[in-house]
Amino acid sequence: MAMIEIEGLRKEFRRLRGGRTVAVDGLDLSVPEGGVFGFLGPNGAGKTTTIRCLLGLVRPSSGRLSLLGADVGRALPSVIGRVGSIVEAPAMFPRFSGRRNLEILARIHGEGDAAIDASLERVGLRDRAMDPVKAYSLGMKQRLAIAATLLRDPSLLILDEPANGLDPAGIVEVRELLRSLGAEGRTIFVSSHILSEVQQTADHVAIVAKGKLITAGPVNEVLATTGGTGVIVKLADLEAGRRALGAANIPCTITGGAIRADVPAYQSERISRTLAESKLYVTELRPDTVDLETVFLELTRDRGVGD
Amino acid sequence: MRLFRSELLRARSRRLVWMVVLGGVLATLIAWGFAAYYSHKPSAAEVATAQQAFDRNIAACLRHTGNEVPPGYDSADQYCRENAGGPYLDGFVLSDLDTIMHHTATFVILLALIVGASLGGADWTTNTMTTLLTWESRRVRVFFVRAAVIVATVIAITVFIEVVFAAVAVLVAATRGSTAFLPPDFWRTVSLTMGRVSLMAAAFAVIAYAIAMVGRSTVSSLGLVFGYLIVFEGIIAGFRPSIQGNLLVRAAVVVVSHQPIVDGGGGGFSTVLLDVPRAWLVVGVYTVILAMVGLVVFRRRDVT
Repeated sequence: MAMIEIEGLRKEFRRLRGGRTVAVDGLDLSVPEGGVFGFLGPNGAGKTTTIRCLLGLVRPSSGRLSLLGADVGRALPSVIGRVGSIVEAPAMFPRFSGRRNLEILARIHGEGDAAIDASLERVGLRDRAMDPVKAYSLGMKQRLAIAATLLRDPSLLILDEPANGLDPAGIVEVRELLRSLGAEGRTIFVSSHILSEVQQTADHVAIVAKGKLITAGPVNEVLATTGGTGVIVKLADLEAGRRALGAANIPCTITGGAIRADVPAYQSERISRTLAESKLYVTELRPDTVDLETVFLELTRDRGVGD
Repeated sequence: MRLFRSELLRARSRRLVWMVVLGGVLATLIAWGFAAYYSHKPSAAEVATAQQAFDRNIAACLRHTGNEVPPGYDSADQYCRENAGGPYLDGFVLSDLDTIMHHTATFVILLALIVGASLGGADWTTNTMTTLLTWESRRVRVFFVRAAVIVATVIAITVFIEVVFAAVAVLVAATRGSTAFLPPDFWRTVSLTMGRVSLMAAAFAVIAYAIAMVGRSTVSSLGLVFGYLIVFEGIIAGFRPSIQGNLLVRAAVVVVSHQPIVDGGGGGFSTVLLDVPRAWLVVGVYTVILAMVGLVVFRRRDVT
């Protein structure tokens, strides 16, 4: 069963001065069970609107959405208890303590102190639980919001830009948390405009731009959609190195002060050995992988939906 | 019930709620402090003189009405006892407490307005409505449960403040005033007044809450409510006296005082502008209609 199923989602917003803005334009998406699913796109791509539609906060103009197999329009209340979510910035009462914020939410589902303590422990906020939320750093607020989503022990987590505004340490914390949650068998649907960040966490990704789906699938497959991978080689005499590799039937070119060999990364040992046999010694040898930024830019340029 | 408990905890955790309680108690203590300072305990002779003067006033009032029973009263005697003015003593007399509570009802209702607007508007300002709706997606339930919590909170606050108010009044009367002339059903009358004031406060809080759910902020709700009640109703009532019977403030005054607005022009009691049952109806209609508007808007509008 797909955890999230979206068919032909379209959402138009009426502007105050007339006219309409199309935030999501015929989006189709299927999120499989388990693992981390990255929902990627630049700001204004329609990610948050899609999430709001999924959670019943925004009424779609057309299309069909289902969450854990339940139709969002009719049966959302029957599954909302199994879904944890953060939409945009974590929204908590700033003057209440972190714990009081969680208590208020926990009571809705009849969760007790044990669940609150466990959630706070999980995100490392137990020591600061009694401090007012307004005294928290952005990272702590984000962790508190994640703690709130964990109160219900959800099978699906929908997180909208969880690393937004965090410092590098905070980003690493959130990344580790998402990985561990995904490893527990939960499905994590995480939206982000920081493509490199999600690349390190997600198993599957969908890339959207201007409300349309650009591509979706396992990360490796998406990365493979734009050209193959290669190996970057640096050494003192680039020209001699190119000749040696060419003689060994390893296609390569000199580019940007290095040799780019058009072979998969697992052939690095062959490259190293070939050059060493010609008395040429590498100073750097690394895979030339395509990242999601590159994929995104190429795909949006190809389809004419880039900014 | 779980959502009710959650909402109750949220309301209880709001600093504003406790500030309103504290403000009400402080205002009570300050007001009665001044009253005690300027009052004095009357002598037995002063009390007897006041009783004689009061009896004469009642007799004059009965002669004036010609025993005609004014609308809204059971007898001419009741009308005269409630309208001829109590026995006059130079100082605070406990029997005036009911009348004083009618006049302080405005203050209590204003506090309730602030509580209702804030409990409705704060979630929009802090964006926690999004969080709440991702926990309980049934908006109709959210709306009604929160309205119920607001009613419960406002009634608890106003009853508490009024009880404190009455308790301090008794203390002041016993030490610096008089407890003479208390009618036999005095405490029953005072209790009913407290109940009516609390119910009116709850109704106004629900109105402020409903408007906050439409305007999605506390400030817009308070601005609109005060603007309407003070400016609009004030002007309308001045220019179009005939529609006074449909105005919210007039209806609330009639409910709290439990006395109709009577057109005394021409020396008779023939024209009742707004009687008590109709006043309840007017307040009820305003509350229900505005609550329904708030519910429909909350249910239909996107939360962005």
